[in-house]
This record gives sequence, C-alpha cells and structure tokens, in this order.
Amino acid sequence: MIRALRIISSNPLSLTGLVLVLLILAAALFAPLIAPFPTHNGSVVDFAFANRPPSTRNWMGTDLVGRDIFSRILYAYRISLGLGVVVLIIAAPVGTVVGLMAGYLGGWIEAVLMRLVDVFLSIPPLVLAIAVLGVLEPTLANAMIAVTVMWWPWYARLVYSIARSEREEGYVLAAEVIGASTAHITIREILPNCLPAIITKMTLDMGFVIIIASSLSFLGLGVQPPTPDLGSMVAEGARYLPDSWWMTVFPGLAILLAVFGFNLFGDGLREILGVDE
Amino acid sequence: MSNLLDIRDLKLAFKGLSGLSEVLHGIDLSIAAGERVALVGESGSGKSVTARIILGLLQETPNARVSGEVEFDGRDITAMRPRDRARLRGTEMSMIFQDPTSSLNPTFTIACQFAEVMRRRDPRMKQAECDARATEMLTEVSIPDPERVLNAYPFQLSGGMNQRVMIAMALVNNPKLLLADEPGTALDVSVQAQTLRLMHDLVEMHHTAVLFISHNLGVVREFADRVYVIYRGRIVEEGPTDAIFHAPGHAYTRALMDAVPRITGAGLPEVPEVSDDFLAPMVRHDGGAA
Amino acid sequence: MTLLSVSDLSKTFQTASGPVHAVRDVSFAVDRGECLAVVGESGSGKTTLANMILGILRPSAGTIAFDGAALPARRGPIQRRAIQFVQQNPLSSLNPKRSIGASIRLGLDTYGIGARAARWARVEDTLEEVGLPREMRRRSPAALSGGQRQRVGIARALACEPELVVLDEPTSALDVLVQARVLRLLNDLRARKNLTYVFITHDLAVVRNVADRVAVFRSGELVEIGDTPKIFSAPEHPYTRSLIGAVPVVDDAELQLRNRLAEGT
Repeated sequence: MIRALRIISSNPLSLTGLVLVLLILAAALFAPLIAPFPTHNGSVVDFAFANRPPSTRNWMGTDLVGRDIFSRILYAYRISLGLGVVVLIIAAPVGTVVGLMAGYLGGWIEAVLMRLVDVFLSIPPLVLAIAVLGVLEPTLANAMIAVTVMWWPWYARLVYSIARSEREEGYVLAAEVIGASTAHITIREILPNCLPAIITKMTLDMGFVIIIASSLSFLGLGVQPPTPDLGSMVAEGARYLPDSWWMTVFPGLAILLAVFGFNLFGDGLREILGVDE
Repeated sequence: MSNLLDIRDLKLAFKGLSGLSEVLHGIDLSIAAGERVALVGESGSGKSVTARIILGLLQETPNARVSGEVEFDGRDITAMRPRDRARLRGTEMSMIFQDPTSSLNPTFTIACQFAEVMRRRDPRMKQAECDARATEMLTEVSIPDPERVLNAYPFQLSGGMNQRVMIAMALVNNPKLLLADEPGTALDVSVQAQTLRLMHDLVEMHHTAVLFISHNLGVVREFADRVYVIYRGRIVEEGPTDAIFHAPGHAYTRALMDAVPRITGAGLPEVPEVSDDFLAPMVRHDGGAA
Repeated sequence: MTLLSVSDLSKTFQTASGPVHAVRDVSFAVDRGECLAVVGESGSGKTTLANMILGILRPSAGTIAFDGAALPARRGPIQRRAIQFVQQNPLSSLNPKRSIGASIRLGLDTYGIGARAARWARVEDTLEEVGLPREMRRRSPAALSGGQRQRVGIARALACEPELVVLDEPTSALDVLVQARVLRLLNDLRARKNLTYVFITHDLAVVRNVADRVAVFRSGELVEIGDTPKIFSAPEHPYTRSLIGAVPVVDDAELQLRNRLAEGT
C-alpha cells in the first residue's frame, strides 16, 4: 500500500489521474449534497432563468428550461459511473470465465470460444450496441445490456492471452502432476495471475464505457430525458451552438475529465500492479 | 606497459523506492592487451553489471549511480559523452551473450546483421564487401558452408551454430576488448566446450583481450589466463589461473572450489554456511595484474 | 526390489516435417531406494522420458510398471501420489500469487493426506524437513532466493509422501554453493525416507556424486547404462566417453581422469 502510494506520487500524471478519479467519485457520491439545485435532476422548469450563461448563481449556466447545468452534471456522473460499474461488473467476469476456459483447456473449446469472441470483436462496438438497442427499447437498463454485450469479449481476449502463457508455467505443470482439478488450476492458480491485468483494464475501461454510453445517449439511444446524462446534454446543447456554448462545452468537458482521469489512473495502476503491456 | 582496461574504485548503486542500494563496493580490475581475464562469481555478485558499465550501458540508466574510473585504451569511459560511448560499442569493444539465439534478431538474415555490425565501423561499406568479410569470419569460426549460413535466419540454425555466428560477429570489427557474459551456458556441454576452444584460439590469433564473465569454475580454468573472484560486489581474490586453482587463498574462493562436484567422485562436499570469512580482505597472487 | 520398470518404451511426436522419435525402445529398471541418473544433451529424450514416467505424456508404445503393476493411461490418485517430481526452474515452478504453504498443501488436499485440521502443521513439518523455517509457509515465492524456492519445490513433492521422485535438473539453475547444499539435502532425504530417485541432468559431475547408476541417452536411445563408478572409470560407449571428456573440470585429478578417458578412444 505504501509502495503503491510512492509509485503513484512519483508520477505526476498518475497522481493527476488519481485526484481526478477521486473528485469524480466524490461528485457522483455526494451529488445531492454538493449540487446547488438538487431538484434540477428531474423535470423541473424555471423559465425565469432559462438559457443563462455561467454566473455566480449558475456556475456553468442553465439549459433551455432553466435547469442548473452544474447540478445536472453531478447527477449525470452518478448515472455514467453507475452504468460503467454495472457493465464492467458483468462484462469482466463473463469475459474472464470464457478466457480462462479457452486459454487453459485449449482444443476445440478454445477454437469455439475464441471464434465467438472474434465474431463479437469484428463488429464495430457502436454498431453492435445500436443494433441491440434497435431491438430493445432505449432505456438505461438496455443501454447497460448493449454495452455489456460489446464489452465482455475484450476481457475474454485479455484473460485468454494471459492464461495461455501461464499454462506453460511450471506451477501449472506441478498442479497437473499432482492431479488437481481443472477448477482448482484455473481459479486458484491461473486466475490470481490474471487479476492485476483485469483490474487495470477495468479502470481504463471506466473511461471508455462512459464515452460509449454518452455516445449512445447522444444518439438518443441511451438514458432518456429528463434523467440527466452527459451524452444527451451534449446532444441537446449542440443544437444551440455557438450562442449557448455552455450547454455543450461543460458536459463535454465533464466527459473528457472522466475519461482522462480513469486513463491516467489506470496507467499508474498498471505500473503498481506490474502488468505488462 | 599500460593496460587496455583499467578499472579503479568502481562503485555502483541503484536508487530504488527504499533508498540507495550499493551493488559494487569499489572494484579494481585491469586487463592487458590480448589478455584473457575471467570474472567469477555467483548470481547477484555484481559481475554482469561490471560488464554493463564497461560497455557504458549502465551510466545511462536513470536510477544507477556509477562512480570511479573506467579507463579503456587511455580514455575514461565514465567521463565520455553518451554518443562517444555508443561509438565504442561494436567497434572497439564487443560483447557475446549467454543465449546466442535470442541475441540475434530473428527477422534479419545473418548477412544483414553482419553488414550492420561492420557499418558501425565504416558506414560506406558495400553489401558485397560486407559479405566477403563475413564469409571470411565464418570460415574462421569453422563454419563449413558460410554462404548458406549467411543467407539463413537465426532460427534456422542450431544453438551451437548461432554461438559461432555471434563470435564471428563480435570479432569482425577487430575489437580490442571482447566481453563474454556466460557464453555458451545455454548450450550443451559438448557444444560449449567446442565453442570455448574456438573462441580461445580466435582471440589469441587476433590478439583480442577478453573479459570472461562466468559462474562456472571449470570453464574459467580452461579459458582464462588470470582470474578475479567477485563476492557481493567486492573482488575477494585475484591472480593467475594456475595459482587460484592450485592455491586458493580466500575463504570464499575455497568454498566455491569445494562446492563444485568432481567427476572423480569425491562425494558431496560439506559446504560452509555464509561466514564472515567471506568478507575477509582481498587475496592477491603474485604475477597478477600489471 | 524393482520399483519402476520401463520396457520397450517409445514416444513419437507427429510434426509438420514428419514423425520425430523422441524416445525409442527404451528399457530399464530402478530399484527401491536407488538413484538412477538419466544423462543426455538437449534432444536426447530425457525430458520426454521423465514426462512419461510422471504421466504427463502417454507413451506411443511400451509399458511403465510401478511396484509390479503396469501403470494405466489414466492414473488414479494413489498412483499419481506415489510418483512426484521436482522441476528445474525454481522461478516458474511456484505460483507467484500463492503462498508457499498453499503450494505445498495442494497435494495434501488433492490426495486427502492427514486430517484437514492437521494439514498446515504437516506443511510446516515438511518445510522443516527441507531446512526451511516453519513461518515460511505464509511467505510469497517472490521473497525467496533461488535455493529456497528449490527447497520449497522439494517440500511440495515430499508432502505427498511419494515413493519415487523424478528430479528434472533440480540444481542446474542454482549457484554452486547453493547447488551443493541442495544436493546434500536430496541425498539425506533419500536415505532418511528410503526414496527412489530418477535424476535427470546434463551435469555429469553432479551425477558422479549422487547417482548409484547412470543411464546415458542420445537421440532418444539408451546408449549405455551401468553403475556410476564403472561408467566414469571405464565407459564403454564412445558417446559416454565424449560426454565425460567435455565436462569442465577444476582440479588436476579430474583432468587426469579426463585425459585418460580421451586416450582410450
């Protein structure tokens, strides 16, 4: 732990990442306490203050119906992070199981599973998600499903490549000669050696999931109004560019900061956990 | 006569997260022109880092602290600019590594790699000239069909063959000093014996000085004129090979010698635990360093 | 008396460039309590042979009999438990993410050796037997030296209470001083527990001092087998002589022996 802090603090970029991630987490967690207008999270209308540029009352201005953009961004972070966490918590284990089985067992299981993974990876992610949402209704839950469907193969591939090289290690051979079960070898022996890479990837992916989710809602396929979402806020505001620039710029910056933060922090984590590229 | 290589009070420390850790505690080592010198020690004794300092590689590592003098052919390597140091490598001094197959680039033919080495000395050399010279060198290392080998990729050749190619490549620019880090350890014993004999003859012919780094006392005895024994970053004994092997003077050298199993079958020796005697002052035999 | 007997054992690998005979018609026997060294250079088939004895590879032809009964293609836990092995590379043979104790305990759990509650104590006893402190069971392999890791590797095999241990170059990655200590430990353990060793190595000097008998392999074939003193004083096969002749030696007596063998050719 002390070693981890030392490594992080010796690298200004990782430190920036850590600080950003902590700030964003705090913003999302304490949104109701921090937000100057907590009620603007829903369908509130305040035409008296509609379409105002940034001021001391509304730090990031207001939208067309007079809602405080800063407050809405804080709430939008809740949605984005929540979505990211749910997606990764489903995608990572699914991909891990597939990757472990394919990487360790080999043979036809490997062939079938990895071809399946290739099929998923060959479809551009956004297209895949749009296709899923075309079939299902565009809601938050379905957006999560769509993003999860496109995300798990990356974990499968990551874990597969590690498992394949670990399979050649002496400790796996030792366990095989002793006659340990496949479950023991994959879960107790190989999986712990994949975890650092998985955790690092999950951190890096938080940023990307936020982008993808925002892209979906930008296209009107994700979270539906009046729930605040960074992507749909950018989309709404884009119609009033360049005059009402704050409606687009601040949610856009919010996305940028989140992605930037998680990426920098993920890189630092990679170093701490000693994960190879 | 002045020495080709003179190392005086060489110290090396690495800056880690938990402060400085000293790896070399002031080493003195010298090699005369054409002399074969061995540096013997266990893993972690500091023998490989010494070679890396002579090659000027560690000086450029950000967390390494090098002090002391490394004088090569009258020039102080530690005081040189990195560019000048880089120019020495592959021309004035060259290196042979433990595993020949992985130290050759698998994506280029042997001819290509030879040409690259030769152009370090003379960038205007034509491919035909390079090939001619390479063929000559490959013949010197007793490779029967040099043309085939020149057009081959390293993975198409056996480990022993690659080792010979490495030796030929290391000597093609007529370096004054050859650094050999555990050469042939990755090879079979019989192949290793052959390549060492070959290397021995070649460096004698070319009057190349060698710093031979090894943990294998038997190999050292067969190859070197003079031996340095290194233990935990300190030279503990130095002298002509015969003297060291017939009358080891330092407790550590004796322990090392005793620990080697003999083919005459004296049984397994009782090895002393690490003792303070191992840190006793250095033993220097007569007829040693010039 | 015979514990392991190998008869007409062959292993052929199918490769893109045709079949490769890794082991060809090999027969020999190992007595209980004996140490047989299997010597050869790379490509001699010694590792393939070891893997067949361990049950990692299935022979193409021939049989391996243990304690009087032929070993089946799929071995049960009792048969697996009786034959354990120690690997060459102490760096990769232990899982970096598991404690030393967990690695040693795996065999106990798999074969159900001892009462569940008493297994950690057993693990610690085994650590003590290989000359390591009991507390070491909680440590991670990263905190250990090469010699210590190799001792853990030996402890892992011992914990299963095997009868035969296949040692695959157990000391060739170690420094000389460490090697000498590990070899002594292996000798002591064999005497104390009446273990039988198949000691696979390319290092003839080691063989001379630990093995009762030597089997010399070349290109998958057994070229010479005999008592250690005899193999070293009067080898019959020219290949054996050339192998001994290539050993780098440190003292004059050895040099004389080598020269005498060289003159014999």
